[in-house]
Amino acid sequence: MKNSLSSSLKHPYIGIPALIWQLLFLYIPLLITIACSFLHITDQGIQGLTLEKIKYFLTPLYLKVIGFSLLLAIVNATLCFLVGYPLAYFLAFTGKRFKNLLLFLLLIPFWTNFLLHVYAWFYVLEREGFINNLLIGWKILKQPLTILYSPAAIMIMMLYFYLPFMVLPIYSSLERFNTSLIEASLDLGASWWQTFRRIILPLTMRGVRAGFFLTYIPSFGEFVIPSLMGGDKMMFVGNIISEFTLVEGSDSFGGAFVVISCFILIATALLFYKILGYSIQSRGKVK
Amino acid sequence: MRRILLHRLRKSMSDGLILNDISLVIPSGKFFVLLGPSGCGKTTLLRLIAGLDVADEGKIFLGNEEITHHPIHRRPINIVFQNYALFPHLNIFNNIAYGLQLKGLDPTFVKQKVYKIIETFHLEGHVFKFPSQLSGGQQQRVALARAIVNEPDVLLLDEPLAALDFNLREKMLIELIELQDKLKTTFVYVTHDQFEALTVADQMAIMNHRGKIEQIGTPKEIYEFPLSSFVARFVGTTNILHGTLYNLKEPDAMIRIPDLGDFKLYINQRKEWMSEGREVLISIRPEKIFISRKKTLNFSNTLKGVVQSIVYHGRSTQYNVLLKNQMKLQVFEQNEEHFPQGVIDYDHEVYLHWQKENALLLEK
Repeated sequence: MKNSLSSSLKHPYIGIPALIWQLLFLYIPLLITIACSFLHITDQGIQGLTLEKIKYFLTPLYLKVIGFSLLLAIVNATLCFLVGYPLAYFLAFTGKRFKNLLLFLLLIPFWTNFLLHVYAWFYVLEREGFINNLLIGWKILKQPLTILYSPAAIMIMMLYFYLPFMVLPIYSSLERFNTSLIEASLDLGASWWQTFRRIILPLTMRGVRAGFFLTYIPSFGEFVIPSLMGGDKMMFVGNIISEFTLVEGSDSFGGAFVVISCFILIATALLFYKILGYSIQSRGKVK
Repeated sequence: MRRILLHRLRKSMSDGLILNDISLVIPSGKFFVLLGPSGCGKTTLLRLIAGLDVADEGKIFLGNEEITHHPIHRRPINIVFQNYALFPHLNIFNNIAYGLQLKGLDPTFVKQKVYKIIETFHLEGHVFKFPSQLSGGQQQRVALARAIVNEPDVLLLDEPLAALDFNLREKMLIELIELQDKLKTTFVYVTHDQFEALTVADQMAIMNHRGKIEQIGTPKEIYEFPLSSFVARFVGTTNILHGTLYNLKEPDAMIRIPDLGDFKLYINQRKEWMSEGREVLISIRPEKIFISRKKTLNFSNTLKGVVQSIVYHGRSTQYNVLLKNQMKLQVFEQNEEHFPQGVIDYDHEVYLHWQKENALLLEK
C-alpha cells in the first residue's frame, strides 16, 4: 500500500510548464549569450571562434569592477547577517505575541514600488534631508553630513532592501528550534553566548546559508541602488553590462562580460557554500 | 551532599496558579519522587529547582546556601529532560563531554572521564554516532550520562522514561535505582506514573491538582496509610465507601453505610475530625478483600454481592462485584493455583470479606 501511495504522489509531468518556461527564457538565451561571447561575428555572419571579447575584459580596469561588485556583495550579505540574525531571533523567541504583525511589517516594503523607496531614501539622506535636519536640530552637528552619493548611502539602501531575504530563512529555522536544547545547554553550565555559539548558531546554519545566498548572489549584480545612491561615482558589474548591452549596442561584448562575471560569481558562491557548510556537521535530522 | 529545602514556593502563570505555597525538604543522597497527575505543577517545581524558571515567592536552599536567584549555569544541579534534549549536531562523545568542555578542563582528563561514563552506561559502540542513530533507550542513557558526568549535587529527572515501552521502562527503573545507590547523588524524579514512583522512591511526595503537596512519606506509608482520599485513589487502586461514623471506642469504631449495613473499623491514629455522627469515607484496597462463594467466619466484615465482570491480569484476577446499593467493588485475587477450586464466574453470588484493620478511615 505504501508503495502505491508514494508512486501515486509522484507526478513527473507536473514540472513541465515550468521547465518549458525555463528552457525558452533562461537556458536557451544563456547558451546564446555564452556562444556569442566566443564567436567572431561580423556583418557577413559567423567568422569562427575568438577569445578577443573575453580578453578585452581581462584588464585591471574591468577586474577592479568585478572586485568592487564582489566586495559589495560580501559586505552586504555580512551586514544583512549581522543585523538580520538578531532580528530573526527576536521574532522567533521574544516577540511571540506580535509575531505576525512584526513579520507583516518586515514584508511591507515588498508591496511598494522600488523607485518610491529610492526617492524616500533621497529625502532621508540628502544634505537638507531628514537625518541631517534631525542631527542639526538636536545640536549634535553644526555642518550637515554628506551621506547621499557615498558608499555609506549605497550600503544603507542595500541593507534595507535585502534584509528580509536574510531574516526570513533564519527566522524559519529558529522558529522550529527545540528550546529545550537551549535549556539543556544552560543547565550543563554554558552561558548564553556559549549556548549561542555551540548550539543555536550551528543548528540554524542552514537558514544562515540560505539567507547568505539569497543576499549575496543578487547583490553581486545589483546596479540600480549603487548608481542611484552612489551617484554613478563607482562602477559595478551591472553598470558595465547595461553600458555594453543597452547604451552602445555591442551586445556580444556585454555577453562576454556576463560570462566572465557569472563564472566568478559561481566560483565564489561555491567557495562560500563550502565554508558555511563546514559548520553544518549534523548527520542526523535537526529536530 | 546537601539537602534541598523549599520554603513557601509560589508560582503563577498566565493560565492560573501552578504552585501554591510549597514547602518541602528533599533529603540528600536519597531517591526522591514527586508524584502527581498531569498538569499539577510538578514539572514547574522541578524547573524552579533547576533554575529554568523563577518563583514568584518563596526561597530555595541547597544546604545552607540560598540559590533562589542563582543563574541556571551556576547551580550544581543537572536535569534530564523528558524529550532528552540531546544536541542533534554533536556525536555521543561530544554530547556527554559538553559540560566538562565548557569548564575548560584538560582534554585528556575530559576524554578519560567521558569514556569511563560511556562504559558505565554500556554505550561503548556508539561513541561517534549521532543521537538520531540511537534507539530510545540508548538516547535515554546518553541523556543520563551527559548530566551525571558533571557530578552534580542533585540530579533532576523529568518523566525520563515516559517515551519508553513497558519492558524497557522496568529495566531502566532498576538501572536507575542501582545508579543512585552507587553514586549517592540526590535524585529528584518527577512522574505521573504511580508504578514508577513506588518502584524507585526512597521518599515520595504526592501533589494534587491545585499545586499543593498532600502527603510525604515512604512508598509503603503512602500506599498503606494514605492521609486523604485523593492519595488513596491516586496511588494504587482502591474502593471508597461513604458512611457515618458511630460507636467510637478507641481503637474500635463502626461505620454505617446506607443500604449495606454496619461495618467494624480499626482506628490506627485518632485525628481531631474523627467524631461520632460524622460523615466519613473508608478506603479498602482491592487486594485486601477476600472473595469466596461460601461465607467464611473468621473475618470482621462480610458483604454480599454479584459478580458483574472478571478481568484476567495473569498474576491476578480482578472481580467487579455489584453490591446491594448498586455500588461496585473491585477485588483482586492472586492466581496461586493452576487448577483452582470453586471457580468464580459471571453472575455468581459471592461473599466479600475484609479485616477491620485493612479498611482505612478518611476525612470526607
